[in-house]
Order: sequence, then C-alpha cells, then structure tokens
Amino acid sequence: MSPVRAPGGGQEAIVAAERLVAEARFGGGSGWLELGQITERLSAAVDRVMGEGGLWAPELAARAFRQAQGDVLEAAQLLRAHRSTLPRLGITPAVSTGELRVVRRISSAFRNPPGGQILGKTMDYVGRLLDLLPEEEGRARAAQAAAAQHGPSHSHDFAHAHAHAHTHGPGPTPAHRHPHRPGQPGPEPVPVPSSAPAAPQPPGAGEVERTPAHVLAVFREMGLVAPPSGAADGDPEPCDITRQPIRPGAPRSAWLQTMARADTGSLLHLWYGSDWRPAEHEVPGELRHGALPVRVEHPHTGRPVTVAEVRVSEVQTFHSLTRESGLPTNLDVGYGICFGHNERKAISMAGLDLLLAHHEGAADLQHDVLLTLDGLDSTGYVQHLKLPHHVEYRSVIERAHAAREAAPDSGDTV
Amino acid sequence: MTTHLTTELAGPPPAPGIFDELSKREIRRAVLSGIAIPGYQVPFGSREMPVARGWGSGGLQVTLSLVSEKSRLKVIDQGEDAGVNAANLRRLVVNHVGCEEETDTREADIIQSRHRIPEQPLRDGQVLVLQVPGAEPLAGIVKEMDEQRRMHAEADYAKMWVRLYEDVVHNGLVTAAAGYPVLVEGRYIMTPSPIPRWDVPKLNGSQAITILSAGREKRIFAVPPHTHVVPLTFEDRPFEVEHTPGAACRLCGSADTYIVQEPARDGQFSTWACSDTDFCRRRRAGDAPATVPHVQPTALQAAQPSEPAPPALVQPAAQPARRDQEETA
Repeated sequence: MSPVRAPGGGQEAIVAAERLVAEARFGGGSGWLELGQITERLSAAVDRVMGEGGLWAPELAARAFRQAQGDVLEAAQLLRAHRSTLPRLGITPAVSTGELRVVRRISSAFRNPPGGQILGKTMDYVGRLLDLLPEEEGRARAAQAAAAQHGPSHSHDFAHAHAHAHTHGPGPTPAHRHPHRPGQPGPEPVPVPSSAPAAPQPPGAGEVERTPAHVLAVFREMGLVAPPSGAADGDPEPCDITRQPIRPGAPRSAWLQTMARADTGSLLHLWYGSDWRPAEHEVPGELRHGALPVRVEHPHTGRPVTVAEVRVSEVQTFHSLTRESGLPTNLDVGYGICFGHNERKAISMAGLDLLLAHHEGAADLQHDVLLTLDGLDSTGYVQHLKLPHHVEYRSVIERAHAAREAAPDSGDTV
Repeated sequence: MTTHLTTELAGPPPAPGIFDELSKREIRRAVLSGIAIPGYQVPFGSREMPVARGWGSGGLQVTLSLVSEKSRLKVIDQGEDAGVNAANLRRLVVNHVGCEEETDTREADIIQSRHRIPEQPLRDGQVLVLQVPGAEPLAGIVKEMDEQRRMHAEADYAKMWVRLYEDVVHNGLVTAAAGYPVLVEGRYIMTPSPIPRWDVPKLNGSQAITILSAGREKRIFAVPPHTHVVPLTFEDRPFEVEHTPGAACRLCGSADTYIVQEPARDGQFSTWACSDTDFCRRRRAGDAPATVPHVQPTALQAAQPSEPAPPALVQPAAQPARRDQEETA
C-alpha cells in the first residue's frame, strides 16, 4: 500500500510515536511493574479507573493504568473501549445497598448511629506528612508482610480482597467468588497505620455489624424524609445511559448513572463551585465503603445466584431544604455511589443529587451534570483540538478577509 | 452440560474486534433511520472506541459497522490520506477487519473523512462517512436542547434566518465559514460537518450516501443519494465558496480545487496546495477530470421548506458565487 505510506506521511510519525510510548512502558532501568503491585499499592488509582470506566475489573483496570502510564482518564478510556468489544449478555437483578457489607461506615449526623461507626481504612486521620522512610526499610517491611501473608494463618482480609482478583484468572472474572457471604462473621477492620489515632471501636469488638441498617431508616421512622425525586412515577426501569443518549429532562436514574461514571475532578468542581448550592451545607448522614453482591438469574431455576462482588462507596447526604414544589416533609436525601473507594466522588455526587432534586427541572444544572461530567467526553473534546484544522481555518480566514472588504457596504443592506 | 449452558448464554464466541456485532447492528439501524429521514439527527447509543471522543469515534463506529473484509476503505483528514489522524484510523480499521486500504477515491467503497468531501464526484454505491464534532446546527442559536428539538420538529427555523439576516446587516455578508448550515430536502436544517463551503454543493444530488456521525454527541444523520441539499442564504445574497484571486495549487496548478496555504521558501504562507492529495496526484498524472462539476444544476432546485420558513429566501443561487468574480473575470 505504498501510496498510503507516502514519505512524509502520518504513518511513519504515528509508528514512531508508538515506539516512544512503548519505550516508556518497557524501557528504562526499572523492572516490570506487576499487576499485583498496582492493585495492592495503588488501589486508589485502580478504583478510580474502574469508577470512571464504569466497569468492575480490578486486574484489567490495573493493566489499563499501567498502559496509560498513570493517567487515570486515559486508563478509563482503555477500559471503556475494552468494554465495547464485549457483548452484553444479560442484566443483573437489582441489589439493595442494605446488603452492603461494610469495611468502613461513618455518620457525621449521629455520634453513635445504630450499627455503630467503623472508621476502617481511611487516610483522614493519618498525618499528611511526606513519609521519608528509607527505601531499604520499606522493602524490608513489605517483604516481612508478604512472608506473613503466605504463612498458614493467612486470612482473606476483605479489605484487600480486590487484590486477589488476579489469582482467579484473567478478565473481569464473572465466576469470581469471594469466600465471604453475608451472615458469615466478618474479618477485623484493616489495622490503621500506627501513626494514626486509634479507631473508635464499634460496640463489642469482634461483633462488628457488617450490614448495618442505613441511618436514613432512623429518619424515615421519624417521618422526616421527603419522598425521593420522581417517587410519583412509581418504580420505573432505570434509564441506561450507555445505550440511550440523554438530554436535560432525563430521569434521576440517568443523572445518578452519569455522576457515578463521571470524572472525579469535574464532579467535585461542579458541586463545590456550584452557584446552586445553598448557604448552609448538607450533612453526609452516612458514608459507607464495602462489598455488594452481583447476582444473575440462574438460566434454569430462575433463582438469583451470586456470581461476584463489587466494592462501592455509598453516601447518603441530608439537607433540610424545602423543594421548590413545596413538600410537607423537609429532610431531603442526596445519593451518591460509585465503584471502589472514592469518598470524594460519592460525597460530591450526593451533594449534586440534592441540588438536582431541589432545583427540579433546572435545565442548566441538568445540562452541566448530564453533558459535561464524563471524563471521556471532555478530554476527547480537548484532544480533538490537537487535530489539524487547516481546511476549516482557510475558510475562516477567507470569511474574515471578505468581511473586511464588505464592511464599508454594510449600510446598504437594509 | 456446563459448556452447553455457557454457549447457550453467550452465543457464538465474539470475533475479536473493536465492538461487538449486536452493537454494530444498533449503529446500522440508526444509519437506516437517518437515511429514511434525511437530515434528521438520530440519537444512538454511541459506544466508546479506542480513539478519543472527538477524534472520529462517531465516524469510526459507522465505518466499522459497514465495512467488510472485501471493502476498499479510504480514510482522509483535511483531504489527506497520509495525515496522522487518517493514517491512525485507517490502520485501526484495517488491522481489525482486514479490509483493503484505498487512496483512490474512485475505487473506494467507504470513505471516512474529517472536514472534506473529495473533489472526485462520488458515484452510486459509495458511502461517505463524515466525522462530526458538533451535530446541532441550532446550538449557537438556542441553548436548550428541548427547544432545538421543537424547532426541528416544527421546522421553525425563523431564528436561524434572523441570525443569518443579522449577520448580513452587521458584517455585510454571511460570516459562517466551515460547517455552513444547509437545508436537506426542504425539511431539516443540518450541519454538513465542518467541511469548507467549497464542498457544500457536492452534497446536493450526490450519487453516494453521506452518513454523518457524532460519537460524543451520540447522533447520526444522513443524506441519501439524489437528495436536495441547499445552503441557507437569501435571494440577493448568493452563497459564496472560498476563493482567493490568483491562487492555484503549486503542485498540479489547479485553481478549481480546494487549496490551503503553505509556507513558501521565504517562510511566509504565500503558496497554495490542494487539500485533496489523491485528486492532486491524479491531476498531475493526467488521471483526473479536467473540470470538477461542483454543482449539478438540475439538483439545485430545492423543494420549498414547509411553513413557517420564508420560502422566497431559500432560493439558492444557480451557481455558488466567488467573492472576486468581477476582478478575475
């Protein structure tokens, strides 16, 4: 195909660019970056890639993150493009987040909510001091921990359960089974680093409530909670934003899905910088991080079978705002959920959900939420600016010249 | 038993590709809807492609859903087969589908293009896939998407006409440069994608199918063969294509093709070259038509738009005008 690969053409340039990228991936003096290292040591990044990619697949996300050389949005794009290669085989039945088996659960609305507070793994109280631990010592500690883990007493600590995905074979492992089932006694919370203050112990350590009722239930009992936005419509099938293009006026399910896959930074900014935000802030009534079962209906018996687990962050945030439609009860609930451990995202999402419900029908706000938050869309648009535009530009320049010539005559056009 | 069940659930094993067969069918259905309603923007479930959204992901989905192993595929960006983006997209499709690469416009079955329509008139059976960065021609006029939809549904394009009129009043001419709005078959106003005005008349009465696809905006629209496509303008304001007096391609000498500026030896942008590299090469080899029929006069008699667009205003000029006609005559 010689005409295509004409000298000076783009083919050589892109092949060369590809080689430079490959050099960064495979070259240099350091060793091959193992997937296990990424899923274990860089779990926040892996979780973010899965959240923004909209696909639960820790090992694939780690691959994507490595291939993207640490660029989260690029990795999310890889994951989504990979998803496009696969057919959709079925739709799982809905799972209540009441089943969420928590490794972390806090409420800022109550000192001691029913079910207790479980601080779990959080950097919130770890001093933000750059750790200048000598590399040798770090290596030694990791080696020690690895040795202990491979000992006979190794328990499948749930908080790093995602790191085990790679041991179950490649791919998103639909057949992946975790050893824990609801009802089984859960493991201890992840030990917090020694520099952190001790975690508040849940009542009766060892009897940690792993599937506590939502704090929201308390408010519901008090009769204080406004019905969810769109409650009048009953319980409609959720809109599917991956198959239906959405526009302002879309149901709540569409905006929640959009935010769950949104670029974390964009979502944070839209909420934090929003003019729509009322003066008094909302209170996250509950923030959870834990595992949810994924079930499919058995093709023969029709009964739901748990085939996998996904980790999610979930936030229910409360605000006493009366909606514009003026409801009798005044405690409104905003909901946020996303794959992995990403509290910043879940909190921002819940805050925006509140605003969307409060300013019902505000097309501008809906526009921003539905059409500007997707990381692939926004970065795609930015990237497109780098493509050649000289054909268009000649046309623009020609019009500018023509307008200058035409200007003196403009008076006689009426 | 288990194997049997798995097969039953999963169907035939998916061919490794960029997206699955069911998704391709969905795209083809959207394309058919677009062909059935010329100029109407069909929403579709745009998939994520292995290229950035804005990098031709919409066009790529259409091309992939149409291309087969036997297809001859031409991909151009800014008229060039060898540009980085064109080379990249072509490589992607060819590597995944195994179709034939083609640069000769006459031989291609499918032409995916960004910002240009080839100079070589397209023939029956060819499909032109245009990448679209912004699908909505009314976007700069009304912001609300519901209102845009209403305006299209009711063919209420009064605001578009007012915008063009104001343009003429303020600037003495219609300043829309590339992506000039067109009326398709007297019904829908459509963006032809950011092609130069030079290319707009080629859409009118074209023998080929033109499919326009916006991946990020999730819309597909189409111009079937032999469809009236008329640029919006006023009776006393002939539609003007790009023209620079005295400019001609430094390679083939053409003055009747779309040319772009290039730096000369003095470093100034003072020379010109064809943007359509295939046509330019064939002109030099004597393998291209000596004249390019930009306008098929029979096809330019557009159907009048239905109410309430002012019918008298859409009478197209018989010939696209060049601003310097008097000087060069």
